[in-house]
Amino acid sequence: MEVQEIIKTLKSQIVEQLNLEEIKPEDIDADAPLFGTGLGLDSIDALELIVLLEKNYHVKIEDAKESKAIFASVKTMADYIVAHSK
Amino acid sequence: MEAYINSLSCISHHPTFNDDFFFKETSVLPSSNFLFVTPPVYRDYIPATMIRRASHILKMGLSAGLMCLKQEGEEKTDAIIIGTAMGCYEDTDKFLRSLNENAERMLTPTSFIQSTHNTVAGQLALLVKCHGYNFTYVHQNLSFEYALLDALLLLKEGEAKSVLVGGVDELIPPLCELFERAGHIKKTVHLAEPIWQSKTKGYVAGEGAVFFKLGAKSASSIAKIRGVRPIQKISDTNELSIYVDEFLNNCGLTKHDLSVVLSGINGDTEKDKNLNEYISDINLPVAYFKHLCGEYFTASAFALWFAAQILKKQEVPTCAVREDRSVKNIRHILIVTHHNDRQYSLICVSQC
Amino acid sequence: MSSRVHITGMGIISAIGATVEEAFTSLTECKTGIDKIKHLKTIHKDVFVCGEVKHSNEDLNTIAGTKGANRTTALGLIAVKEALSNAGIKNIKEARTGFISSTTVAGMCHSELVYSDFFQNKTNENFIDSHFSGVSTNEIAAEMGIEDYVTTISTACSSAANAVMLGARLIKNNILDRVVVGGVDALSKFTLNGFNTLMILDSEWCKPFDENRKGLNLGEGAAYLVLESEEQVRKFNKKSLAILSGYGNSNDAFHQTASSEEGYGASLAMRKALQVAGIPAAQIDYINAHGTGTPNNDSSEGKAMQTVFGNKVPKFSSTKAYTGHTLAAAAAIEAVISVLSLQNKIIFPCLNRSAQMKDLSIAPISTLEKNVSLYHVMSNSFGFGGNCSALIFSKNQDGSIH
Repeated sequence: MEVQEIIKTLKSQIVEQLNLEEIKPEDIDADAPLFGTGLGLDSIDALELIVLLEKNYHVKIEDAKESKAIFASVKTMADYIVAHSK
Repeated sequence: MEAYINSLSCISHHPTFNDDFFFKETSVLPSSNFLFVTPPVYRDYIPATMIRRASHILKMGLSAGLMCLKQEGEEKTDAIIIGTAMGCYEDTDKFLRSLNENAERMLTPTSFIQSTHNTVAGQLALLVKCHGYNFTYVHQNLSFEYALLDALLLLKEGEAKSVLVGGVDELIPPLCELFERAGHIKKTVHLAEPIWQSKTKGYVAGEGAVFFKLGAKSASSIAKIRGVRPIQKISDTNELSIYVDEFLNNCGLTKHDLSVVLSGINGDTEKDKNLNEYISDINLPVAYFKHLCGEYFTASAFALWFAAQILKKQEVPTCAVREDRSVKNIRHILIVTHHNDRQYSLICVSQC
Repeated sequence: MSSRVHITGMGIISAIGATVEEAFTSLTECKTGIDKIKHLKTIHKDVFVCGEVKHSNEDLNTIAGTKGANRTTALGLIAVKEALSNAGIKNIKEARTGFISSTTVAGMCHSELVYSDFFQNKTNENFIDSHFSGVSTNEIAAEMGIEDYVTTISTACSSAANAVMLGARLIKNNILDRVVVGGVDALSKFTLNGFNTLMILDSEWCKPFDENRKGLNLGEGAAYLVLESEEQVRKFNKKSLAILSGYGNSNDAFHQTASSEEGYGASLAMRKALQVAGIPAAQIDYINAHGTGTPNNDSSEGKAMQTVFGNKVPKFSSTKAYTGHTLAAAAAIEAVISVLSLQNKIIFPCLNRSAQMKDLSIAPISTLEKNVSLYHVMSNSFGFGGNCSALIFSKNQDGSIH
């Protein structure tokens, strides 16, 4: 899959998985921070995203500490998926 | 041990979160055998970051808790004590189903995290930054009573000046099926009789979130809790009578001081037998509440709210009584309730 | 308010033994109870190690003297019976007696086995009646004849500590003469998988307070103490194992599952316990830490201890590398271990620990220490929902221990 395609799909999946009711996928900036500022996600959301990646992309993150960098933005998530897909 | 109710809030089947509502046109007959809550606008109380994850009981519990605190002007309390028999069942059910459907693979954390019984108490503490005493009681239908007892004790010990106490339990579709198939729920064809005339088995199930802020007497005090007595079991009506007399004596009252007895029968003719027998012997004005809120483990919290409102408004809604005795000068109310003819409880509440 | 609260009996069943004596043997021999999963049926059987009680449900029922009781009830009953026997209580009705139990998942060990079937195959019509938290408490209370005050607490991993402190308050306020307090939790797929989703389980033997720690090992078990008033002890000439001299309950109010970096709630709880005990921090001789082995807890708790005790943090260890993290039962199991420490002048070590944590200036005791002068022992328990509790156990004033 192309990175841009993944980014588009990821946005919808994130909104659904994290129940971000007030947010439209297309409004999410792919380069904006997901945690802290930006969408304001927290550590529980990070765990949800780890499962999202495994379920939808068969990409497993073994160490939760790595997730901070991987989930910096939707773009970094997409890059990680591309790099680790079989 | 006693304390004053300085503010209160109630989310229940009727729009009781609205202060102006007091059952003026409410029917004596429940509309269904499952009485789900009429909620307030949750967004008015709970931050967006929390609400997106919040389960049904969390939304109810957090809103009711915050509503109660807001009444006194500031969202502060020294302690938080919750009674909930079933805890966060929606999240428990979600995680369990996921566990089975996915054969223990790729499970998500949110529902597990929020399934613990102390989630309401914990999240309330988080929201109002309360670092004080924080407890959750989970003892079937005495959960709220033990939470209340603890609050009274804490105030007596001087460990807190204000305590937020709540009784919360939710009713969600899986529970409806669970209770129905276990034989607890009244059949819809049997809903045509008021609960005090019921000749059939089963009860109407309900849910709710009711909170009180307890403390010393103040200008805004609504009622005074004179005592709480959870009773592990009774063998018969006579034993219940002895418990009541002893309890009232400890509250500095006798039966003759009571203005109203609020009976916790739930319409299950078999299980209500002892309580009905007791009530028929006491010759006092009686009111009922479980047809308004439904039967659930912490329904006694609703009863206390109801009693406090009766004292405040000095009226007993007509839908709550079998016969209108137009009780005046309502000073002391005794709540006598049970679940399944096992655990009983007594709460005495008076005018300030 | 009446004076001191005495511990007159204890009962325990966990991965390190089915009695106080068995537990003591394992503790002094530094034998961990953490091992491969044998009884719990889970796909993670060969992935995680747990502190499982070394008996099947059938065995536990035999020991408990019951038939068809679920694992939670059986474990609880075994420990309660031992505690009451240990306290020499034969007639429950001779004094105002209470029972305060605690649990996080109650009857889940059974419910999770029948849940799907209930909805799909329409079986097990009323299993829900045995699912809820108060059920096993009521069953145990009924079995023991306790009626005066019976309740159940659930504050996640601090549950049993809260049961203990509530019991003490009821005695001090002359509401009860004596009370059985503690907690129980059985292993379940629900909790094993739940903690796995949080990525805080270690697939190997946990390493509390070790720099390279990866997470916790779950455990299961039950433990109960019998608390009695001073008057009760004098009247019936009871042996006093220790005094419950202090307790503190607070809320971290930081996050639903994680502890604040500086362990604010934890330090508050410890301070409150000291205040109730009426002793300065310097008089604590040993702390049985919560020490789960998760990166977050051990760091947070360590910092909290450094805050409360300054540069004089007492000797401390976590005994969870022996038992695993037994959730609601943890504080009660560790209360028993703390009293055993006091009675025998022994500090049980933090097993499997070697590397100094970089963010702490303190290190736990990691080898068995005997003949230690112990007068006041603190025990910490922290749980989800920000619930933080601390207990202090002390020798009798005249120094005598039976």
